[in-house]
Amino acid sequence: MRRVVVPEGGQHAPATALETRGLSMSFGDKLVLDRIDIAVGEGEFLCIVGPSGCGKTTLLRLFAGLAPPSSGEILAAGQSVRGPSRERAIVFQDYGRSLLPWRSVWANVALAYESQGVARAERRTRAYALLDRMGLTEFGEYFPGQLSGGMQQRVQIARTLAQEPRVMLMDEPFGALDAMTRQTLQDEIARLAGERGITTVFITHDLEEAIYLGDRVVALAANPGRVVETIDVGLKRPRDQLTTREEPLFLAHRHRLFRLLLPAMKHG
Amino acid sequence: MARTRGLVVPILLIVLWELGSRAGILPEDTMSRPSLALAAGWEALSDGTLLVATVETFHAALVGLAIGSVIGICVGAPLGLSPVAEAVIGPTLDTIRPVPSLALLPLALLIYGFGARMEIMVVAFACTWPVLIVTVSAVRGIDRRLVEIARMLEMSRLRTLARIVLPAALARIGVGIRVAAGIALIVAVTTEIVLNPRGLGYAMMIASQSLRPDLMWAELFWVGLVGFGFDAILRKIDRTWLARFSTVAGP
Repeated sequence: MRRVVVPEGGQHAPATALETRGLSMSFGDKLVLDRIDIAVGEGEFLCIVGPSGCGKTTLLRLFAGLAPPSSGEILAAGQSVRGPSRERAIVFQDYGRSLLPWRSVWANVALAYESQGVARAERRTRAYALLDRMGLTEFGEYFPGQLSGGMQQRVQIARTLAQEPRVMLMDEPFGALDAMTRQTLQDEIARLAGERGITTVFITHDLEEAIYLGDRVVALAANPGRVVETIDVGLKRPRDQLTTREEPLFLAHRHRLFRLLLPAMKHG
Repeated sequence: MARTRGLVVPILLIVLWELGSRAGILPEDTMSRPSLALAAGWEALSDGTLLVATVETFHAALVGLAIGSVIGICVGAPLGLSPVAEAVIGPTLDTIRPVPSLALLPLALLIYGFGARMEIMVVAFACTWPVLIVTVSAVRGIDRRLVEIARMLEMSRLRTLARIVLPAALARIGVGIRVAAGIALIVAVTTEIVLNPRGLGYAMMIASQSLRPDLMWAELFWVGLVGFGFDAILRKIDRTWLARFSTVAGP
């Protein structure tokens, strides 16, 4: 459905939303990411998989601009990333830490509007519109601590949508949720990203989740973190939790990634 | 049940005290008698003197607490946020802090003379420290994630402080304010006993000097009682309102 644009040669391709060039990161002597070159097309859903310790989260933080790389460069829409920006929203895995406990659900979503200068009355209306979209209308006046994990993660997603980002960076967002909730949210996030044309970088250690969601899957190896494989998924959208996962192409991708990453996963 | 059981010891002590006093075992000129103290306390309550003194003491304690808390938070928050501020202001504060608050009495007297203001100044000085120290560590200890969210949303430093950092630190700052509240009452009463002719401390001093142990005991109990009530109110605020500021715990 969405065309995946893979820029060649690394030059300023207009359709590149996010790009890394020779990106390396070390903490002290430890090299965590080694010369990463990834380009994410405009509107693309890119999944990054890898064993623990492969620097996935570090990579996402670099994309976000929360930390500067040791060497190399990150470009967002052709511009060098110097710091965090509301254009690049992050959905953290630990939703419990990522919401303000003293604010009601709608006010947590409205936080994204406050620094945009949206009028007070309008914030509430717009926050509720997003909560409605996430199926949380009845919970607007609740506090985050009163909601289940899945609902808290929906609130966080609603807040990042309120930010109206061009890029969504998701750090194992469903890793802490039960299987049923996870599948529901996978479908929701795929639909939201598709509808709004938001470029998405989705980090996970779950190979099937990566194939199910991604237009492309980038596999990282650990010690140091480096790109070992990139797969064009090529499964048609909308995808279906049952039938897509049974398609031969899906299984072939799974087979390939599994072979590639299993030794590392065991090791990790 | 647990509450009533907790009353057994105090009631027993008071009964023993009364009996001991009546039997002439306890010196009546210093220890008085619970029944006499009760009568004296009732009299002081009904003629209004005890209430006026209470209002005077609490006025100084509360205003001093408020001023001290505001200073503590306003100085503590930047100290907790910025290592530079800590390096510049920290040593000065560490030098001033060991000064006993009551050592400020002569200075306060010089500045304001007798009355509420000098007492407030000393109370505020005493209250600043616990609030400041707790604020520094609370601000330093807030989850860095929340600050990252503020950065991602491109919130200004001031907005981040007001909307994210202080609320996140509020539950712990509340603990500091509770500690300071206890200190406020102690310092107010002490100031009145040693220097300032007003409030409950002064009333106790007068009762003692005019050889009225009954009235002095009544006032001593009264101070304990209102102090307990004060702390209970603060604890209630802590539990019902500040608790919300701590963490998101899923059900």
